[in-house]
Amino acid sequence: MPIETHRSRDGRSLTIKIEGRFDFSTHQAFRDAYEHGGRDVSGYVVDLSDATYLDSSALGMLLLLRDHAGGDSADIVIEKCNNDVRKILTISNFEQLFTIR
Amino acid sequence: MVDKPHLDEEALAELQDVMEDEFETLINTYLSDSRDRIESLKKALSDGDAGALAHTAHSFKGSCINIGAPRLGALSREVEKAGQDERLSDAPPVLAAIEVEFQRVTDALHTLMAGRAG
Amino acid sequence: MDESAAETIPLKILIADDSDSDRLILKAILKRLGHRVVDAANGREAVALFQSEAPDIVLLDALMPSMDGMEAARHIKKLSCERLVPLIFITSLTEPEDLAGCLEAGGDGFLSKPYNRIMIEAKVNAFNRMRLMHRALSNQRDLMHERNRQLLKEQHIARGVFDNVAHTGCLNAPNIRFHASPLSVFSGDVLFASPRPAGGMLVFAGDFTGHGLPAAIGAMPVAESFYGMAGKGFNGADILREINQKLVRILPKDMFCCGVMVEVDFALNQLNIWNGGLPDMWLMRSPTERSSLPSRHLPLGILSPDQFNADMETVRSRPGDRLLLMTDGVLECTDGEGQVFGEQGVRRAIESAGLDRHPFDALMGEIQRFTGQQKFGDDLTLCCLEMVEEAGQVVLPDAVELSTLAGPTQWRSVYELQDSTLGEFNPLPLLLHICMEVPGLRRKSGEIYTLLSELYNNALEHGVLQLPSEWKYTPEGFDRYYSERAKRLSRVKGHYIRFSFHHDLMAWGGRLRVVCEDSGEGFDFHNHPVLQAAEMAQSGPRYGGRGLALIKRLAKSVQFYKKGNRVEVVYEWFF
Repeated sequence: MPIETHRSRDGRSLTIKIEGRFDFSTHQAFRDAYEHGGRDVSGYVVDLSDATYLDSSALGMLLLLRDHAGGDSADIVIEKCNNDVRKILTISNFEQLFTIR
Repeated sequence: MVDKPHLDEEALAELQDVMEDEFETLINTYLSDSRDRIESLKKALSDGDAGALAHTAHSFKGSCINIGAPRLGALSREVEKAGQDERLSDAPPVLAAIEVEFQRVTDALHTLMAGRAG
Repeated sequence: MDESAAETIPLKILIADDSDSDRLILKAILKRLGHRVVDAANGREAVALFQSEAPDIVLLDALMPSMDGMEAARHIKKLSCERLVPLIFITSLTEPEDLAGCLEAGGDGFLSKPYNRIMIEAKVNAFNRMRLMHRALSNQRDLMHERNRQLLKEQHIARGVFDNVAHTGCLNAPNIRFHASPLSVFSGDVLFASPRPAGGMLVFAGDFTGHGLPAAIGAMPVAESFYGMAGKGFNGADILREINQKLVRILPKDMFCCGVMVEVDFALNQLNIWNGGLPDMWLMRSPTERSSLPSRHLPLGILSPDQFNADMETVRSRPGDRLLLMTDGVLECTDGEGQVFGEQGVRRAIESAGLDRHPFDALMGEIQRFTGQQKFGDDLTLCCLEMVEEAGQVVLPDAVELSTLAGPTQWRSVYELQDSTLGEFNPLPLLLHICMEVPGLRRKSGEIYTLLSELYNNALEHGVLQLPSEWKYTPEGFDRYYSERAKRLSRVKGHYIRFSFHHDLMAWGGRLRVVCEDSGEGFDFHNHPVLQAAEMAQSGPRYGGRGLALIKRLAKSVQFYKKGNRVEVVYEWFF
């Protein structure tokens, strides 16, 4: 499975971990991951430690997640990106929308 | 050498079933066809044309087996083989046997049809 | 396959056998299975019947007089072209090479003598299934070809429509070099350039997420906003705000447009740039001196209008400087081994350009070398813009012909901006719009825009804000000038700029009087060199020097009143 999810012990935070290429082919799986993540989830962590690549449709998916999580009030952390992935997020200035660490 | 039956009763029964009213036409067609083929075999032999002999014998063999005359088919096979191997001198006795066997098959088929009609 | 059951019976089957009795038997068996049979006694007849009867399946005796089965098979296969008509050899041949010969001649299978009804039925059914599957696949393939043809046709038409909206503007100006695929709109790339009414240019490059129709649809309003607003004198930031606002409204949440906007002012020798999500732009000042201008903003179509930041960065330039901008496609080019060109590739190409090679050619050449291809993918857009002397730039032509005298000819209008609006609102498009209602002035939109913008900028920067223009002419002063401008604008209180228009129709054309008055301190116009000079010479770095010279050149007369904070310009146009 290229996408794995797990919830924190208190159930408030959902971690979505993407493995390999984060692109259009993962669209449905990524959607399912946050849409079926549980109702009382208030924060999201997108773990990109095993993501090798990220394209513009992945950026679009992150925007969808942000919208799903409440738009401007969304609490989303994108973490453990490799340099290439980080670079793409930086060019698009996504740190203005997400906490990237 | 050839120990096949003159007529294959089972094959003929099936043919009668398949052909229904056309069974007699089929037999008559086969018989007249075969007479032509035997003439062609003789001609090929007298012309010394081994290829034509093998070719005609091959076709003859096929229709004999189809009609349910296995012994005649087997004899044709021998002529075909002699033609293929260019052993024309081996062919005359087999050809003679074919003529005898053909007469036999003709009679038997006529009897069969007579019985059917009655 | 649902149709297979319905199609199985009756089939039209062609049989060819030189043995009359065999043929009779085979025919009877096939008829018993419910099929229609046409029969031939030799190969020649079989080929003729194949043409006239167009059977579904062919059963051929391998050895026949007058064209044997093998040769007939070859003819039949040739005649059936794309259609798969299963061809089965009936044979009592047993030698492998004979059987192989049958297959080579185009046979799809064998049926051995003596006939066996069950085998015949099974074979015919099996080959019929194969025939139907082949037909279904062919139909699907034909359908796909047809759909594809239609799609290409539609794209072609859409491209035509798109071109009318999103024409290339002034991309063919001598100071611009660019590469953009003709079908790039369907890959999501756009590149636009427009001259500005008061001189200078606007250039926009964009890269939509996604491909195909959605990207092309998103590109339409961008093109319309860009060209519509650029022609009316809006600045880059205004246009960016409009584009962003439109895209947020029309695009789905996961779609956006990375873009750069470049406002080129040849007269002041400066570039105002905005980069939201596109690769670094490169400003090349000489073969060794260059700087990158990275993306500092989110792409267009993501942030709501109140969050969107359209602030442009001002960069000083010199004639001969070149600005290189590109879409992602450049970085994403791959070589034979799947390695990407990347930023390193761009850097390498620019560095290798040296003295005698245009950086555009150097980069294009390097991409070709790297990819090993003369033609690139559709989503690669590259543009190089050169700063030139003002005289060499394109100007808006007198585009609109004077057709009728419809529209207002005798009118007055007063428009006053106050306090914080001075810093927030650009009144020039509106003022230009009022004047453009007069057909005779519409032809002169460039000149009118220049007059109005010079009047407004003089009134704002030197009148209201009291900024000394000398600052603009040194590199250190330049930054100071703009930071001071922003600071003073934010504190403006009790100030105004008032435009009064008065238009009269004359026997020979029309006369527009524009009075611009501001709340500032004015200046000593009695001793101003430009106003005193009989000759219209370049006055050098003095207060309003360039602007005043320009106004003087375009207008019939220029008069200053009061303490220099009221100026009247008379502009005349002729039939």
